[in-house]
Amino acid sequence: MAAHTHHVQPQIQKFVASSALKTFAIGSIALGIIAFAIGLLRSPERAWAAYLTAFVFVTGISICGLFFVAINHITRAGWSVSIRRLSEAFTSFFPVILMGSVVLIGGVKYLYPWANPEVIAAQPMVAAKTGFLNTGFMITRVIGFALLMIYFGKKIVGNSVKQDSTKDELLTAKNLKLSVIWMPIFALSFSLFSVDLLMSLLPTWYSTIFGIYLFSGSFQASLAVLLIMMIYLKDNGYVKGYYGIDHIHDVTKYLKGFTVFWAYIAFSQYMLIWYANIPEETEYYLMRMHGGWLTVSLALIVFKFIVPFIALLPRGLKRNETHVFAVAILVILTQFLDVYWMVYPNFNNNEVVFGFYEIGLFLGFIGLFLMGLIRFFEKNNLVAISDPRMDEALHHHVSY
Amino acid sequence: MGKYQKGLAGIFESEETILKAAEYIKNMGFKKFEALTPYPVHGMEEACGIKRSWIPYVTFIAGVTGLSFGTWLTWWTSAVNWPVNVGGKPFFSLPAFIPIMFELTILFAALSSVGALFYAAGLPTVNPPIIDPDLTSHKFAIFIPANDLGYDEGKLREVFQKLGATEVKLSEF
Repeated sequence: MAAHTHHVQPQIQKFVASSALKTFAIGSIALGIIAFAIGLLRSPERAWAAYLTAFVFVTGISICGLFFVAINHITRAGWSVSIRRLSEAFTSFFPVILMGSVVLIGGVKYLYPWANPEVIAAQPMVAAKTGFLNTGFMITRVIGFALLMIYFGKKIVGNSVKQDSTKDELLTAKNLKLSVIWMPIFALSFSLFSVDLLMSLLPTWYSTIFGIYLFSGSFQASLAVLLIMMIYLKDNGYVKGYYGIDHIHDVTKYLKGFTVFWAYIAFSQYMLIWYANIPEETEYYLMRMHGGWLTVSLALIVFKFIVPFIALLPRGLKRNETHVFAVAILVILTQFLDVYWMVYPNFNNNEVVFGFYEIGLFLGFIGLFLMGLIRFFEKNNLVAISDPRMDEALHHHVSY
Repeated sequence: MGKYQKGLAGIFESEETILKAAEYIKNMGFKKFEALTPYPVHGMEEACGIKRSWIPYVTFIAGVTGLSFGTWLTWWTSAVNWPVNVGGKPFFSLPAFIPIMFELTILFAALSSVGALFYAAGLPTVNPPIIDPDLTSHKFAIFIPANDLGYDEGKLREVFQKLGATEVKLSEF
């Protein structure tokens, strides 16, 4: 039975990406660059919107990887140490956040009404916010955010990687402390990040839980990515005996929990605005309740909450790898849809547009993320092999 | 829980020995035996051959009942029995009622689960027979009731001893 998997001597192989995986990553990046370049020439506004969507989508997922690592350090979790390295690898995308923020400088004037002199002149409400919302300050904040994430990512993951060879238990204690320091910094800076990049697309509108909304969806998708990696690495024989169906079951429970959390936050945001019915607040939802956007809004409720919730309810299905894999893919796609839903209604006269640019940049950023993972694992072990709590993870067992 | 059964209890001093013993006794064909441990031991359910609990189904059905009741309650009170115009919104306004439906789902599901757990575990039990007071702190026991198929006291004493029991005694559970 599952309880006795620890009799198998756990082992890991050096990760060598299959040529198909590498080709996919490089091809996706190339496609992303081509789509972006063509877009910039033909309709820059849409190209930048596609860029922003894909950039925020992958950034959220990668940062929530570090969130998973930190929360497990803070709770001194034992069960998860054999899968923690997979989540740590998400930080390999952080340098791209920095570069992506720098590139974004070019798009500010296309994306944000507060950078448009005509809008500022016509709308005193927007003009009043330009002390905070101006290109220089906004990009400084976003770059500061990226640098903070890079610093803590390097520290926390660096300690973990160092432990593989030194076996120094003190590094675990250091990571606990770093995680505790990082957590509030993450909460505040990620909130600001979401306000700067997404909420300010509609500068007259505000929601005080916007940051948590973006976080909840990102973390949900981040767990889905973790599950896909776990299943892929296990089934291809890279990792043996370190984690099994019990770990997959527990991460799937996490995924289900945060599916509910996303719905809870999404509904909390919607209900208060719907109830109060104040014109300056309802603006955001009115844009998403007409024409094609109503369909997208309803699709989000159905495919980002109802379907995963029911699909992950029975115990047997949470322990079925094929099923979990399929639901994880759905969650990742709907998270992209969610970010798209936050960005796009502000453009193209509120028409639903989706096509080559959106798909191209989506794949481009996925490719960058994948390339980061491949390079991370070509340098580092797939499992934090010397973690002092490894024994606990090897004996992890989900009872009824 | 009704009447207690007389039977034979083997006392063990470690997780490993009781897990092996439970597995062995399950494989001997016993169905009604119980393992008593001071804390949850990983793998015990499988070792004893215990099937999955039916309590989650109670939770699910109670949750669905709570959701239905919440829907009916909000509809009947706000749209049928005493309709009040609130901010010009429809009498039956789903967004306003979802919190109530949600809370009633949780309330029904949670209370029913606890109730079902008490029923399934035969709680509360007043003054139950005690096999060994140390079972609440650091010892483990397997109890085989005398009415289980294949019960043979002499043979079972030997089996328990072979499995590493530090003490074997006639008891009640």
